[in-house]
Formats: sequence, structure tokens, C-alpha cells
Amino acid sequence: MAARNAPADLLRYAGVTLMAGLVLLPLAVMGSTSLKTQADTFGSGFSFFVSPTLDNYRTVLEGRFLGYLGNSIVVGVGSTAITLILGTMCAYALSRFRFAGRTSIAMGSLLLRTVPPAVLAVPVYFIWNGWGIGDGLGGLILVYVALNLPFTIWLLYGFIEQVPGELEEAAAVDGCGPFRLLFTIIVPLLKPGLAAAAIFTFRIAWNELVLASVLTDRTTRTMPYAIYLFITDVGVEWGKLMAAGILLALPPLIFTLVAARQIVTGLTAGAVKG
Amino acid sequence: MQLSSLRLRRRLLPWMFALPAVATMAFGLLYPVAESFRLSFYELKLGEAVSPEAFRGLALFAEVLADSAARQSMLVTLHFAFVVVALEMVLGVGIALALEKPIRGMSAFRSIFVLPMMIAPICVGLIWRYMFDTNAGPINAWLEPFGVKPAWLADPGLAFLAICVTDIWQFTPFVFIMALAGLQGLDRSTLEAAHLDGVSGWQMIRHIKLPLIAPILAITILMRLIDALRGLEVVYAMTNGGPGLSTELFSLHIYKSAFVTQRMGHSAALSVCLLIATMVLSAALLAFANPIRRGR
Amino acid sequence: MRISRRHSLKAAGAAATMLAAPGIVRAQGTLWSKLRGQTIVVNLPSHPHYAVAKQIIPEFTAATGIKVEIDEMQYLRLKDAQVLQMGKPKGDYDVIVYVIMWKTEYVQRKFLVELEPMFGNADLAMPDYDRGDIIKAYYEGLGLVGGPRGYLPGPGAKLYGIPYGAECSVLAYRKDLFAKHDLKPPVTYDDLIAAARTIKTREPGIGGLAQRAQAGHQVTAGWLIHLTPYDGQVIDDKFEPRVADPAAIKATEVYKELIDTGPAGGAAFDFGQMMNSFLQGQSAIYCDSISVFGPARNPASSKVVDTVGYTVHPKAVKHSGELGGFGMAIPRNSQRQEAAFAFIQWMTAKAQDVKVTAKGGQPTRLSTLDNADVRKIYPVDVYRECLKIANPDWRPIIAEWTEISEKVLGIGLSDVITGKAQIAPTMADAATKIRAILDRAGYYKSRG
Repeated sequence: MAARNAPADLLRYAGVTLMAGLVLLPLAVMGSTSLKTQADTFGSGFSFFVSPTLDNYRTVLEGRFLGYLGNSIVVGVGSTAITLILGTMCAYALSRFRFAGRTSIAMGSLLLRTVPPAVLAVPVYFIWNGWGIGDGLGGLILVYVALNLPFTIWLLYGFIEQVPGELEEAAAVDGCGPFRLLFTIIVPLLKPGLAAAAIFTFRIAWNELVLASVLTDRTTRTMPYAIYLFITDVGVEWGKLMAAGILLALPPLIFTLVAARQIVTGLTAGAVKG
Repeated sequence: MQLSSLRLRRRLLPWMFALPAVATMAFGLLYPVAESFRLSFYELKLGEAVSPEAFRGLALFAEVLADSAARQSMLVTLHFAFVVVALEMVLGVGIALALEKPIRGMSAFRSIFVLPMMIAPICVGLIWRYMFDTNAGPINAWLEPFGVKPAWLADPGLAFLAICVTDIWQFTPFVFIMALAGLQGLDRSTLEAAHLDGVSGWQMIRHIKLPLIAPILAITILMRLIDALRGLEVVYAMTNGGPGLSTELFSLHIYKSAFVTQRMGHSAALSVCLLIATMVLSAALLAFANPIRRGR
Repeated sequence: MRISRRHSLKAAGAAATMLAAPGIVRAQGTLWSKLRGQTIVVNLPSHPHYAVAKQIIPEFTAATGIKVEIDEMQYLRLKDAQVLQMGKPKGDYDVIVYVIMWKTEYVQRKFLVELEPMFGNADLAMPDYDRGDIIKAYYEGLGLVGGPRGYLPGPGAKLYGIPYGAECSVLAYRKDLFAKHDLKPPVTYDDLIAAARTIKTREPGIGGLAQRAQAGHQVTAGWLIHLTPYDGQVIDDKFEPRVADPAAIKATEVYKELIDTGPAGGAAFDFGQMMNSFLQGQSAIYCDSISVFGPARNPASSKVVDTVGYTVHPKAVKHSGELGGFGMAIPRNSQRQEAAFAFIQWMTAKAQDVKVTAKGGQPTRLSTLDNADVRKIYPVDVYRECLKIANPDWRPIIAEWTEISEKVLGIGLSDVITGKAQIAPTMADAATKIRAILDRAGYYKSRG
């Protein structure tokens, strides 16, 4: 549009760089601290550069940590897959059919989107134990799917609305059944939306602490709760805590760097296109 | 016969698509919320079964409403939500306006800006607890040349400031991305027309751009408000609500009632209060922007 | 048959049993043979004592064939995890390590197995297990529930747990700093307050007394340290709150004074930060659990290894020290109660107690204090003095204690030490709130 203005651009770069620096600074502190010995973390003054050691990571990875990592992966991937399938189907129904109960579903799911996990902890512990799913990964997946469906439906609805109806009509004329139609014709067109929804669901399922703390036991614990329990009394072992934190944060960070575009799409889709 | 069965199928078809999700939300979300309402009438310890002797009617609500700690925690939460959302909006939108023009490499920067909100809240809490640690933390180490050594998390005012800084660190980039998406989606011809009419600078922002992206900003505000009302893990790891109740967000208050003092009914009554507060806000959210209702 | 075995063991002599003689192992081999191959789950805290105790658990498995899985967590998280498990029909834990202040609540909610019948079962009880040798204050304070006031020894009290990692309070100070400023080890609270002030004013960057003070449980515990020496109490014999009495007000003033002359950031310390502040040389005095003994000797955790002196908890109006720490108990919904009982006995038996104490753990038995190896590394004489003043009524361990501690005192005291609230009105408000909690729980009903 306007002619390129070099000094202004330079200022802009300085601005974004500063902001990126502020964003990255605490993460750098975390990374650097995770490589320090206990004695170094207590030394007066803070310094990024010390003789690095992997001891903290070694200690953290001892014991059950890998098991907890496995649980987190099962819960993260399981919740995400189920949420996407159920959410796509429901969003499709809301978008393509006018039926009794449609408005209630739409309104209800939007209201439920705001339920805080802390509110759910007590009743879910109470009910899930009654059902006998109080300490398995299945119970945890159920509540994460339920928590994520409202946002996923909201998000995917917007994407399905943009798919022209003619495609389906043509396919239906060819004798394609409604389910096959959804999964072979529509779903491939939703890729950006699905990616965004997947990342957001995974983010909750991977990071959530409160529900994970009441719905798991010693063997089914997920990473955030394992790390929370890791905070010890033997002095504050910052190095080990930060190492555990890095291990917890790494998968979402990698995801983010790989799929930032989808995240931004997901964030803005509901608002901008709505 | 044939026809009516076909009609029936057509009637049922949408429900075949919607039912799995609806049932999951009903069992996994709606039922627990309803159970919360029911439990709020009973004085029960965590893990105890509901029994008629434990029924207290509205007594637990009366207790919550009369409880100065619950009130203080609600005030802390609203204060926190107001401060962080206001600052994040000003900062995020301001930066977006400054950086609105597309620059090379912006997508890389955007990836960086998304990072904080993807990290587990418990992790964010730990990082910042370390950052603000009086003796071992980097912030005080950087402040040392200035001869000050604030006891960040041991002072009510500073601890509140610390949790606000943490939230601003985590979510200002979110506001920035939302606002930037809104600004870059604006109709160029409108802006050009305004420009030709001699509107520029602050006038342009104040009277053209901001009103045009107002709907997005409204949604952003409401999403942040709801999140601010939900959060507890960050504060849990940083201050555990202290000193006193100065950083005790309401969700943390509920959590403590349920799992520290183990009063299931009392925590359910607190939950109902929080639910009502969030429902009021989400009703506002619906009024501003409900894509599904607007559809066709 | 069984009696004769018991006799023969006794005849084998105390010296042999103390060194984990093969005789015991063999006896256990027959004693617990049917438990061989079982796996028990032990929920224990990440705490200096248990960090050491964990190291000998493989020996238990080798001796008995009972496998042990450990679930370790920060000590204040134990209760969440335990209650969540014990509230289920079938729990995950076979042995739980509890903090003294939860014992009454657990028993009242019928979470724990009574131990006396198990000691009466000759198939389960170790023949030479000497309960009389366990330090009496610990045995009564941690193990017994149901006596006077619900938690004190006396009529009605029953055994629900065995102390392990129990503790009383001790005062630790930096000998070098005290010598430098010509200070004597504090005998009275006036000495303590003066010493703390001297250090704070004369040693830049170093605080006087390191205390716990984080909002919630920690600040209440830090305050309790000073309450009974000033002859204050939280509730009296009629369960009336006494936190606004002059004695309690005085103790609160002292607590705040010591926070003010303490290390920077001290008004938010939890237990670990408090101990660390002393061990890293940021505070000159420590007055809390004797669990400091082990870490203070360890160069990995302590920068002050050679300069720590110990003395008894100072006297204000009277001598009165902490009595607290951990015990081990068996949840009712454990599926492996017998193996769990075997574990508890083995860990707390004489030979193991010596071994763990020598490695830096905390002794449970009187005989351990007599052991020559233990005497070499453990300040036994001071410890005996500390035990003498350990006060079983140091904190009211009623079932409602957690709520009183976390939600009333834990908030009010935190506001006081950070200067946000005045002492007198805060404590008056706390008394009202405590009374409301106890009233709701039905403490005043019988008196109409």
C-alpha cells in the first residue's frame, strides 16, 4: 500500500524483537536453570551461563516419570481424537440440518464452554467413583472430551459453514450416504479448522492439573500432576523443578513452532469470521 | 408407510450426528454441574455419600454469602480480572496498531508470541515463582545494582503485582494476535476512503479502526475475562493464595475448600456462585457474538 | 512352640538383635512366609527422613519377599492423595505416612485400621518388637487417638499408627556469627529476640530467625512454635477459642517481631525455604523440627556444616516444644493389610532405626539414642533435652484442625506479619471464626 519506509520498518523490527525477547526471557531462565546444579541455583546473583549438567534431567527421568509421560500421551492423543470426531459430527448437524433441539444444543454448548475445571473437580470425583471410572485414564479422557467439545463445535461450525452445499448435493445424487459424505467430502476441506481444534484440545488435555489430580492414581497420573507432586520439602530444588517443567512444556512448544499458523487460525477464526 | 419411515429417518439423521457429542457433554459436563447444585445442599466431607441427615437446605449458601473470606476472594478475583484484562487489552491492541503493517518474518515472531499460552499453567507458575524468588530469583539479581531487594511473594501488594505480571506475560500476545488479525482483515477501501477524506493518525485509529474491530475486541475481552475467572494453577504454584488472601483467586478458594478442608458441600456452594458469575459473563458473550445462532 | 521361639530369641540377646542378626531374618522367614510375593504400595513424603528411610526398603524386600512400591510426594500433598484414595471402596495405598495433625480426622472418618489387634496376632507381630522402647512422647502423640480431648493419651485412646520421622523442636544457631557478635546461645525468648535483632542490624544480608510463614498451614505452624512457650493455647479444655487471650497476643507480637528481624522474603517461606535459608547461610538461627540435623551435616545441602550449634527451644513463660512429624498407618480399604503391618514393624524395629538414624534420618527409639555410631553423628544430648519439653498438647489435633489452621489462622496471621492487619482485631476475628467452626461441628451442643 504505502511506500516502504525504512526507518519505520526498523523501528517495527525493534518493537517485535523486544516483545519476543520479553516472551522468551522466562523460558530461557527455565532452560538455563534446568541445567544448573543445586548449589548454583542458590549462588548469589543469577547468571545464564554456568557449567551445565544433565543431572537434573537424569533425576527427573528416574522412577515413574516415563510412565506418566506415557499416560499424558494417551490422554492427550485419545481426548483429541475423540473430541475431533464427535465435534465434527455435531458441528455438521448444527450447520446442515434444521431440527428440534438445535438451538438448545448450540446455546447449551456455548454456555458449558465457560464451566471452570475447579467447579467440576468435586462432582466428577463423586460421580466417576460411583461409576467405577474414578482412577483410570478413560474417566479422565471422558471429562476432557466433554470440556473441549463446546469450543471444538464452535470452531468447526464456522469452517463447515464455509463449505458450499453444492458439493454434498452432488455427492448425495451419486448415492453417497450421509456419514461417508461427511468424512470423505467435508472433512478433508476442514483441515485447518481440525488442526486448530486439535491443538487446543491437546493443550487442555496435556496441561490440565485439577481434574487430573482427582481422577488418577499412582499408575495413571499425568505429567502436570506428577510435577506438582514433585515439588519437594528438601529445600526448593529449582534445577529439578525446571527440568521437569521443560519436559512438560517441550511437546506443546514443538507443536506451537510447527503449527503456529493453525493456532492463530483457530484463535481468530471464531472471532473474525463469525 | 415407506414415506413415513423415510421421514423418520430424515428426522433422526441430525441426531445421529449430534447425539454422541451431546451425550458426552450431558454426562461429562452437564450432569456434574447439576450434581454440584445438589451437593451444595449437603454438609459432607469429601468421599462421603449423600444422606438425608446431611441435608442443610440453603445453610451453606448463607454461610458462603456471610463469609468474609469468600467475599474477599471474589473481590481479589474481580480485581485481578479487571487489571490484567485492561492492561492486556491496552498493550496487545497498542502493539498490534504499531505493528499493523505486514513486515517480513512476522510469522516467525507470531510463533514465538503464541508460546506462553501453550505452556502448562503449573509450569508457568513455577517459572515465575522462581523469577520472583527473593533470594534465588533472577529478577532480584537484576535489581541488585539498584540496591533494592523486594520480597515479591511475601508482600500482599507485590504478590498481587507478581501474579498480574505473570498473566500479562502469558496472555498479552494472545490479545495482540487477535487484534492484529482483526486489523489485517479490515476492508482496505474503507481505510483508503477515510485517508482521502483527510483522516489520519490518532483520528484514524479512534474513529475508524477501533470501531471496526470492536466486535473482535469484545470477544477477546470476554474470553480473557472468563479465563481469568477460571484460573488457579498459576497462583497455586506461585503463592498458594497468600500472603493472607491477597492472591486467592476464587477457583483456588473452591479447590481449597474441597481438598484442603474437604468440605464437599461448601465447595459445591462456592462453585454455584462462580458458575453464576461466569454464566452472566457468558450470556454477555452470547449477546455479542454467537456464530451458531447467527448462521442462516 | 511359638512361645519357645520367642524365648529363644530373647535369649539371643539384645546386642545381636540390634545388628539385624540373621536370626531375625530367619524368624521373619517363617513369620511372614505367606506374605512372600505380595506387593504393597507405600505413600510417603519427600522429606529428609524418608529420603534416607527409602534407602533401606530393598533390604526389607530381600528379607521378607514382600515387594514395595513407593509413591512419593511433597508432605502437604499427602493428605489430598490419601483422602482421595481412602474415600474409595478399594484404595491404592497399603501404608500411608500421615502428619500428626491429621490423625484424629482420619480415625473419625474411619479411614485407618486399629493396630492393637494386629499386635495381638502372633502370626503377624514380630516377636521381639519392643513397643516400650519407642520414645513415649512420639508413641502417644502420633499413635494414639480417642483419649482425652480426642488426641491425648489416657482413657479411651487406641493405637492407629507408629511414629516414624517424628520430631520435636530444637534451636540451631550459627556458632561463628554468635561468637563474632558476642552472643550466647539463647536460653530465653528475650535472648532469642535480642540475638535476632543483633544479627539483623549488624550482619548485612543475613536475617535473625528463619521461620515458616507462607499463608495457610505454614504460617500457623510458625506461630505455634511460640504460642505454648508463652503459655497460650488455641482452644481450652471446653473447646473455647483462646487465640485472642493476652498470652496468644504476646506470642503473636513475638512472631511478628522475629519475622521483621528475619531473612528477606521470610514472610512467605514454606518449610523447605525456611530450612534452606538457614542452611545456605541467609539466616543465623533456626527454631523448628529436629529434622534439620541430617541436612545440616550434609555438604550437598548445607553451606554451614561445621558452624552449627544446637540448644533447646528457649523458654518464655515456660519450656514447651513442638511435638509432631510423621507416623505410618494402614488404610482400612487396603487389600494387603498384613504385609503393610509387616512393613511398618520392620522399618521401625531397633536394627533399622539405628541404621536409618546413622544415615541422617530421625530416631524413633530410645535404644537408638544409646547407639555409639549414632552418638558420633547425632547431637543426642541436646536431643534428649528437647524431648523432655516436647508438649503433646502443643497443637489441638481435633478433626477440625486443618480448617482452623488453613482457613482461619493461616490467613489472619499472614495478614498480620505482612503488616496488612493489626494483631488484636485479627485474633479476635479468628476466635469468632474458630468458635463458628467448632459450633458447626457440634462441640458446644452437649452444654446446651
